Amino acid sequence: MTMLPGIQRVREFEWQVPVGYVPGMRVPGVFFLSETLAGTLEEGAVQQLANVATMPGIVARSLAMPDIHWGYGFPSGGVAAFSLDEGVISPGGVGFDINCGVRLLATPLREEDLVKKRELVERLFKAVPTGVGGKSTLRLSGHELDRMLLEGSSWAVGAGFGIDEDVRMCEQQGCMKEAETAAVSQKARQRGMPQSGTLGSGNHFLEIQVVKEVYQPEVARAFGISAGQVCIMIHCGSRGLGHQVCTDHLRTLEAATRKYGITLPDRQLACAPIDSPEGKAYFGAMAASANYAWANRQVIMHYTRKVMEELYGVPYKEMRLVYDVAHNVAKIEEHVVGGTTMKVCVHRKGATRAFGPGAPDLPPAYAGVGQPVLIPGSMGTSSFLLHGTQGAMEKTFGSTCHGAGRVMSRTQAKKRLTGKEIRDALGQEGIIVRAPSDAAIADEAPEVYKPSMEVVRVVHEVGISRLVARLEPLGVIKG
Amino acid sequence: MSFEELEHTADARVRVRAGTLEGLFSEAGRALMQVMYGRPGRDGLSRSVFVQGDDLESLMHAFLSEILFITEVDGLVISGAEVRVGEGIVEGVVRGEPFSRDIHNAGRGVKGISYSGLSIVRDKESYILDVIFDV
Repeated sequence: MTMLPGIQRVREFEWQVPVGYVPGMRVPGVFFLSETLAGTLEEGAVQQLANVATMPGIVARSLAMPDIHWGYGFPSGGVAAFSLDEGVISPGGVGFDINCGVRLLATPLREEDLVKKRELVERLFKAVPTGVGGKSTLRLSGHELDRMLLEGSSWAVGAGFGIDEDVRMCEQQGCMKEAETAAVSQKARQRGMPQSGTLGSGNHFLEIQVVKEVYQPEVARAFGISAGQVCIMIHCGSRGLGHQVCTDHLRTLEAATRKYGITLPDRQLACAPIDSPEGKAYFGAMAASANYAWANRQVIMHYTRKVMEELYGVPYKEMRLVYDVAHNVAKIEEHVVGGTTMKVCVHRKGATRAFGPGAPDLPPAYAGVGQPVLIPGSMGTSSFLLHGTQGAMEKTFGSTCHGAGRVMSRTQAKKRLTGKEIRDALGQEGIIVRAPSDAAIADEAPEVYKPSMEVVRVVHEVGISRLVARLEPLGVIKG
Repeated sequence: MSFEELEHTADARVRVRAGTLEGLFSEAGRALMQVMYGRPGRDGLSRSVFVQGDDLESLMHAFLSEILFITEVDGLVISGAEVRVGEGIVEGVVRGEPFSRDIHNAGRGVKGISYSGLSIVRDKESYILDVIFDV
């Protein structure tokens, strides 16, 4: 097998990037990867993992999950925790798409009940605005946008886009209380207003899935999932609002980096002490964006339920939200570091929270098994349901992977297959794909991603989350 | 003036060349449109633009972020720009056409302009910009 030079193997799936790999590292870097995935590791991604280790106040180690790939600032798949006293907060550790995340809706339908599948896909495509330039049918006032930014999922449910139970089934009850609307610029609001309730583009999707395999029946039962069941997965984020918040605060934090005398190897890692005015402003705006994203997914789920209700007569309340996870976010959490419990600011960029049994912030029904972890597959491939573990609390600040991770550039992908060819091939497997354009399909061909089964196998073997079920796509609405 | 897309696993990495600094800004705006819509816009409408920055890279970052804002909020697909690059500022006019889902549908949404990998260098003939768009 091939591994990049300078990296040490610690355990079967655990690799260490020693202090000194890049100048100024305060802690080592650690990532999890199987031999099969080792060939996909990019030097740029390891460099970024090591860059994160140079940031002030980083605690224990700079981490990356097996879906690690070359990003900007942090690598995608990166996790780092910072002490509240000496540490920093950085938009480079969250990304442009703040609270990009996933939710899973369980329906009482079985695969065989899903007649009129093409009509279902078409109706969902019409109901949920998608793609570049896709505009919302909501007409939000400035006051309503403020409430969306402050209350997240609860705002959406209060506005008629769901039921109370939905709120309890979101990470952090779909709301970060630290949200500060004053830190969200007028520009961000202008971008966010017309995009609430839209899916967006790129790797975002809405997928009709069937539970194909159950690995842990008892945990699946706790999550309300069984083999043959039809589910719907929604993957999107905070749209232009979050993107603008990242852009705006990157600028102010760049100035702050100099002001506080912080030296960084990459400008995208611009940061400020967590309790500085600049750090607090970013945190408040990021939290508001996270709330926007939760409300956004809630509205999209509402549209989905309405279509299912109309087409199959399934009562709205019998379609249950299994869970909603964020995979681009920074949060204040309590973790045990070197035997001491301390509050830290955990950055997860392309990584999912994976809190184990008994951890705080779990719905009572899941307290005994740990939180559901939702890992979306690439278009046309399996997605996975896992649960959080004590191992994640011990090894990764309660974190695991977020997806498959790309291995092929979009330029390469487009040379291989056209969107139509991919759509036809998936159609032959019984998977209906609907997108605003064939170009959007070509961009996200299944082969441009790491095999997602191998990525989740690694997190399962390492014990930072455990497999519960595998879901296969039946229909895909692409952004 | 020209631009090309370079290899990048997850995002869109673009190299832009132009004989003048002003031309580099214009061509960078066109490159962003190419990624987002599959082609730059055509002339027709225009809008003023003004950004500030501490150095050339910050100015380019601010300018492209502003183009992203204009195209998303005003629905203008940029065909080019006539700007003046001064001490800490870029100001001038961007030209373009209204966004149409029927025409501008062969690209992918850009979330933001990355500082990682953003560089502007000069060789004998031209200015060269490398920039990564988060898609």
